[in-house]
Amino acid sequence: MRDIVALLEQHGYAVLALIVFLEAVGVPVPAALALIAAGAASAGHHLRPEMVLIVALSAMLLGDTLLFILGRQTGWTLLSFLCRIALNPESCILRSAESFYRRGRTTLLFAKFIPGINSLAPPLAGSMRMGFGQFLRLDFVGACLYTLAYAGFGYLFSGVIVAVARGAQTVGRAVEWSLFAALVGYVVYRVYLYWRHRKYRVVPRVQVQELASRLSSGEAGGMTVADVRSHGYYDPGAMRIKGSIRLEPNNLLATVKEWPRDKQIYLYCT
Amino acid sequence: MREATSARVAHILREHGFDAYVIHGGLRAWTKGGYPLEPVPSDDMVLLPTFT
Repeated sequence: MRDIVALLEQHGYAVLALIVFLEAVGVPVPAALALIAAGAASAGHHLRPEMVLIVALSAMLLGDTLLFILGRQTGWTLLSFLCRIALNPESCILRSAESFYRRGRTTLLFAKFIPGINSLAPPLAGSMRMGFGQFLRLDFVGACLYTLAYAGFGYLFSGVIVAVARGAQTVGRAVEWSLFAALVGYVVYRVYLYWRHRKYRVVPRVQVQELASRLSSGEAGGMTVADVRSHGYYDPGAMRIKGSIRLEPNNLLATVKEWPRDKQIYLYCT
Repeated sequence: MREATSARVAHILREHGFDAYVIHGGLRAWTKGGYPLEPVPSDDMVLLPTFT
């Protein structure tokens, strides 16, 4: 905190704009702390409060707008990417989208206060074709709430901030331990995934050249090519291998119940 | 893990006696190889909700 206050006093609005912008586009930097520090610096007449608000809001809206446009341009690709770490990627996209659809407008107002959701809400709004004007209005209100809450806190309690800064070393150590624990947790999770998927590595693979050759020869009758993607179906204009069929992974055994066992099944996802 | 879904599905199918394989590289490798594609039929589309 003391470092951020010193940095803000020295470089002022540029540092504030940079930190707020980076957080808005998903970089894990402490924008809330920067806003509190900027509020405290305003109370100490190092920065002008109205400029703090203008700079922070502009940087936040710029970052959010960029993510909104990215979501609009990439469709569900971004959400597919984020859902790859979920335990069930197939249902993650659908659940996330439906949840945002039900509560999207309210979510945009308060998303900035929730780590993780803050940088997910704007691209989701873009992916789900929310009108740009509506997005901008909701995001502006959300950004105002966030900026006023933290910068206002710093402004009103600048004396307390100094006391907090004195304890920053202790807080910093706690943060370091938390980050270390999170890193260990992530490594354990990846090891678990590797262990969980070990049995899948023995499933035989076929190269695309070989499959294409088999399909063009007389063998095609005894073969089924099945698309088990879920993600790829969410964008209009999605393509698939010619002649393949859809096989829903979550309803697998019911679908293939009547299929002959001697038929070769070739599966693909993205 | 790459091909996570197709490998999982193939594993389940093999456990139930099917002769299942995973296409190495998936749709990306097929597209990169220049092999024929077709649009996903509208009946198979699972369109997610939009605000429009």
